[in-house]
Amino acid sequence: MRSLITLAALALPLSAQAAETGDLVRFVSCPVYRDADSGKKSGCWLATDPATGRRWDVSQSPYKPNWDFAVLVEGRVSAASADPCGAPVLDPVRTSILPDPCTRHMLPAEGYKGRKFVLPPRNIQPLSVARPVPPGPYAERVFTTYFEFDRDFLVYQYDDFIIDNAATWIRAAKPKKLVVTGFAATEPETVSGRTLAERPEIARDRAEAIAETLRRLLPGLPVETKWEVGAKPTGDPDADTIPGQSQRRAEIRAVF
Amino acid sequence: MRVTNRIKRSLPLAGAALALVLAVGARGDAPDRWWSPGEGRVLPASLDYTNEHGALRTLVVGGPLKTRGHPFFEPLGANGRACVTCHQPADAMSLSARTAQERWEATGGKDPLFAAIDGSNCPILPQGEKASHSLLLERGLFRVQRPWPVRAFNGQPVTPDFTIEVVRDPNGCNSAPGYGPGAGNVSVYRRVRPVANMKYLLAVGFPFDPKQGYALPLDPDDGKPQSGNLMADNRAGNLRLQMEDASSVHLEFARALTPAQIKRIRDFELSIYTAQQSSPAAGGGLDTMGATGGPAKLRDSQPGALGSIGTPVWSEFAAWDRISAEDAAKLTPQQLAFRQSVARGARVFRDRTFLITDSAGINSRMGFGNPVRNSCVFCHNMTQMGNDVAPGQVDLGTTTQPFADPWDDLPLFRITCLNQPHPHYGKIILTYDPGFALTSGKCADVGKITLQSMRGLSARAPYFSNGLAKDLRGVVDYYERRYKIGYTEQEKQDLVNLMSVL
Ligand code: HEC
Ligand code: HEC
Repeated sequence: MRSLITLAALALPLSAQAAETGDLVRFVSCPVYRDADSGKKSGCWLATDPATGRRWDVSQSPYKPNWDFAVLVEGRVSAASADPCGAPVLDPVRTSILPDPCTRHMLPAEGYKGRKFVLPPRNIQPLSVARPVPPGPYAERVFTTYFEFDRDFLVYQYDDFIIDNAATWIRAAKPKKLVVTGFAATEPETVSGRTLAERPEIARDRAEAIAETLRRLLPGLPVETKWEVGAKPTGDPDADTIPGQSQRRAEIRAVF
Repeated sequence: MRVTNRIKRSLPLAGAALALVLAVGARGDAPDRWWSPGEGRVLPASLDYTNEHGALRTLVVGGPLKTRGHPFFEPLGANGRACVTCHQPADAMSLSARTAQERWEATGGKDPLFAAIDGSNCPILPQGEKASHSLLLERGLFRVQRPWPVRAFNGQPVTPDFTIEVVRDPNGCNSAPGYGPGAGNVSVYRRVRPVANMKYLLAVGFPFDPKQGYALPLDPDDGKPQSGNLMADNRAGNLRLQMEDASSVHLEFARALTPAQIKRIRDFELSIYTAQQSSPAAGGGLDTMGATGGPAKLRDSQPGALGSIGTPVWSEFAAWDRISAEDAAKLTPQQLAFRQSVARGARVFRDRTFLITDSAGINSRMGFGNPVRNSCVFCHNMTQMGNDVAPGQVDLGTTTQPFADPWDDLPLFRITCLNQPHPHYGKIILTYDPGFALTSGKCADVGKITLQSMRGLSARAPYFSNGLAKDLRGVVDYYERRYKIGYTEQEKQDLVNLMSVL
């Protein structure tokens, strides 16, 4: 983290311009928890871009920070004028936990309310609720799941939703097999003065994790795995316009 | 002896409770408290037993049940035990430490309950001595010996991503010849989990295990998704696997259960419901004045519902928030206050939030964040039952330092993570019971214990997998210490009162 601060200082003049709505913001820093309280899951996550000194509200990430570790923040400046956490909002936003240790910091609410929890739009129904059969015609189709930086863990209320929809469609469409391709963003990039690259083996881990889940959900259907490194961004809407998110993915291809 | 025990039981009880105990006793409750293996009694369709907080009711669907010849009640193996030895109706189909003490006194330690295999601190100790059974007598703990290296729920070997060393072995079962990691096993000490209301523990709410990041594993017998809510360490994926393990270990039954025996045990396990039914402190039935406590509601409800999107957890007692003046007139002021306290306790359980920190399963690897603000119901989220709808493996800290109590009568293990460090403990972890890690083989799962049912608590102290909370107040005190909640004295008492009527 020491090198992070020195390099960030050098970068300051470049990136200190005012951020405009929709701008992509990307940095590494230690997250700060603000103990806002509007009931369950209402606390705030803040993170300061070391290059600009600007503090952002990053609470809307589907995978939230751990105050003991640095986070890679990737988000877009939101048009929202409200600041329930006491900082301008990045939304959509992602906060990936990195292995670099951080000192825990917690701010009091200071009058900020945080956000009353609402179920995110990507949430699945209990099994007791029948899934409507998706209409045909059925042809080769790809479903894409997304991951935190350098991890293969299925994201709650994000990937489970995508996979539940995929499995419902696949049950109706009855493809011959599934091919799961894991991708890893292995090209090094410099963020906040730090070189970040995903480990190549995470591409395979992603493919295998998703394949195992599909084998459990769709017993009897053959599932093959492949993997690719050097992933490039895509425009898939489920990556919520975050290029880095679109790189960290696994594709489920239904083959007829 | 039995009579003495009954009087001893009544002593700490105040007025109304004493009257109730005596009334029930007069109906012949107390002499029948202990169910001995093979005694051939008939298990009635509805059976009440008193405890410190009132009376627990057990319902058997399709009952009464003739227990003669029934494999749950017959001593199948060499040591004279049956399943019922440790899963007693009066103790909510678990076994309280107090019952273990009563058995010791009643039999001079000769009851098969105290069999060397797991009813003593270690079989190598002199079995006639009380001290050799101290963990069972004082905290209701049985020895559970797991294979090392790890085996998964389906018996498949797993290569663990951690090493285990024995730091301290007060009883010998992790270091004497034939025992311990070097000899291919690890012994931990655990409470009995209740065998009742099982449809809730087997219910599957959603297709995923969000804590592990996979779809639910499939049952090897019927190919359906498994609930993942059996056993402290989730080592048994279904009831068949569980009972095969139980019969060979606890009963020292050398043969395999027959398909007919498996079916009878399973049918019985799925037919029995238990919950607290009445409370002298409340002045009567827990299903009166609009409340729906007691086991009938459990029997008649659909299992597996998530309280946050349907019927809120412990809304059974919501009506006691607004007891009519007419009803109130039938209660003493204390009884009215108690009922209101229970209703408040349910709201404290659901709505009083605090910061949940460093609890793997919640604060990692799922994306809730560390910390996350939530309440008791975050983890105890299943309607009517208070277990977890998703597979409930969470590290509450009960078995692992620094949060566990410093018990020096339990073995202590040093876990070293070989790959990624544990997200909250780091590379090296000191634990009395690695819990779910003994099944998954992952250091990230060290200390995770499957959430239990919350029904019938009054009948089965002490609490938590290693018995660290000696009573319900001890449970609340543990959470207060663990998460620095800042409950008021009133909130603590409300929670205790709520839990006493579940
Ligand atoms: C010596 C005492 C003892 C005997 C005898 C015994 N059990 Fe258990 N039972 C336990 C303990 C201890 C646990 C919890 C173990 C753990 O979590 O690792 C348990 C757990 C269970 C569970 C899991 C419940 C849950 O909610 O996770 C079931 C089901 C069960 N036993 C059934 C049986 C059956 C069937 C038999 C007879 C074949 C039996 N038990 C005999 C002590 C016993
Ligand atoms: C972070 C998740 C979590 C939260 C929040 C939580 N619990 Fe638990 N609870 C658990 C786990 C895990 C266990 C099992 C631990 C063990 O047995 O060692 C447990 C066990 C229990 C038990 C013991 C049941 C038994 O059979 O021994 C009780 C009672 C209980 N919790 C009550 C509460 C109350 C009251 C609150 C709020 C103050 C609460 N819990 C909050 C996870 C949680």
